Amino acid sequence: MAEGFDIDHLAKLARLSLTAEEKALYSSQLNQILGHFQALAEADLPATIDDARVVNEAALRSDEPGPVLGAEAVTRIAPASRDGQISVPRVVDDES
Amino acid sequence: MADAPHALSAAELGRRLAAGTLTSRALCEALIARYQTVNETVGAFTYLDQADVLAQADASDARRKAGQGRGPLEGIPVAIKDNIAVKGQPLTCSSKMLAPLVSPYDSHVAERLRAAGAILYGRLNMDEFAMGSSTENSAIRKTFNPWDLARIPGGSSGGSAAALAAGLVPLSLGSDTGGSIRQPASHCGVVGLKPTYGLISRFGLVAFASSLDQIGPMARSIEDCELLLNALSSADARDMTCFGPSDRALTPAGDAKKLRIGIPKGFLGKGVAPEVAAAVNAAVEFYRAQGCAISEVELPSADLAVPTYYVVATAEASSNLGRYDGVRYGHRSASAGTPVEMMTASRSEGFGPEVKRRILLGTFVLSAGYADAYYVRALRARAKIRSEYLAALAGVDVLLTPTVPTPAFKVGEKASDPLQLYLEDIFTIPANLAGLPAISVPCGKSGHLPVGFHLVGAPLSEAKLLAAGRLFEAAHGFAHQQAAL
Repeated sequence: MAEGFDIDHLAKLARLSLTAEEKALYSSQLNQILGHFQALAEADLPATIDDARVVNEAALRSDEPGPVLGAEAVTRIAPASRDGQISVPRVVDDES
Repeated sequence: MADAPHALSAAELGRRLAAGTLTSRALCEALIARYQTVNETVGAFTYLDQADVLAQADASDARRKAGQGRGPLEGIPVAIKDNIAVKGQPLTCSSKMLAPLVSPYDSHVAERLRAAGAILYGRLNMDEFAMGSSTENSAIRKTFNPWDLARIPGGSSGGSAAALAAGLVPLSLGSDTGGSIRQPASHCGVVGLKPTYGLISRFGLVAFASSLDQIGPMARSIEDCELLLNALSSADARDMTCFGPSDRALTPAGDAKKLRIGIPKGFLGKGVAPEVAAAVNAAVEFYRAQGCAISEVELPSADLAVPTYYVVATAEASSNLGRYDGVRYGHRSASAGTPVEMMTASRSEGFGPEVKRRILLGTFVLSAGYADAYYVRALRARAKIRSEYLAALAGVDVLLTPTVPTPAFKVGEKASDPLQLYLEDIFTIPANLAGLPAISVPCGKSGHLPVGFHLVGAPLSEAKLLAAGRLFEAAHGFAHQQAAL
């Protein structure tokens, strides 16, 4: 059932960098866990998921501004900030 | 010793505070003294700001003196799992990823506790991002079971349960995605309630699997558990899945001696330790002798619960944990490079092994070519499990099973086998998948280790679960039990 399982591709999708040891360990463990999921593949299941709605109908609220965290509170918890803004590595090159 | 503040229930502490025979300051000083002698051994707390606690206690005593007491929780400490936001306190989820974070805001439940006059008392250890059943996945410290320090307290709310069993605090908050309140409650001999999905606002609860997560009360008695539940339960527009003011009335408890109790067929069989089965069977016989109608019920898809849960929960987790990218808060890798390299390095350094494992699993079950085979089938299985539970609960008031198949295991025993650990949750997971309320009630011991039974009810039947628990508790000696430390 886990054919096509590609740990490098998954790690890339999940934005995780794994060592060779981690790749070997997680591949083995995920294969074991996915084997346990075989019961799902074999089960006789309803065609729809309509009545799976544990979550209530979305309670929409009026579209009005409410209290928010100010820039000072937000930048205080940011890993790096400057002039009231969050700093990040350069996204766009200088070249024009 | 029996009269020491740490040995008393929240309800009794409340009575003494109201009568003026105890102050919140004296109570908090006694608990801080207890913390200083016991916490290093048990490891339940990861943070306690003693000066802040005493300032809150003084403010509470002043309110009471001025005739402005706020109710039964006025002046009573409530300890909080480290994934629930309290303004000005750490919010780490026991993860290196959030180690530097101090919450800039209060969760809804923290607001409710402040409004009730409670003392917000410290941060409790947990499995990282609530992923685990033993609290061994904490990146901060280990927590040990107060009944046997060589064993795990359960998880992921292991700190919340251990703090109660060790007499460190009278009340605590946990969160429960697949059993994370009830399983540690069972292992530590305390009461833990997972409310109906939507009864308590998740605003300010760090998201793990949003369609399954609920905050809930933990205590050493049913009475205390109910006291805390009542304080937490209220409508909140900031959580769109939280019941509105007109939808949240609980079904009346009725006469507990007339409850119809369903025993799911086969649940006491394979995999359940004999001592656990014996304690739970004794509870069933107790209810029968009280006049309750006991019947066997069928839940044919029960075997699908664990795989269904681990597909749904990891899928939602892989999405929810996408927000930890090192940009706005939490850990940012020092090895900068490009933005993508910075995000990848921050996540790889910040997350522990179980979190990485679940993100990878959740990424896989949602990935192109596999989502229909895994995620969509899991949603269909969830629908089937929910409809079977609701059908069973149309004929009985509650379903009774063990909370956990076996007593607390030794630290490290299952650390290398994630699948075995996932099976700890086999009895608790269906209530999360179906959005139903459930409670773990202490019912005996296996040797020196506590055992609990588990009740699941229809949506909003919390009062029935508590009434059933109260009937049992009143006739047995497990309320207010604490480990000798």
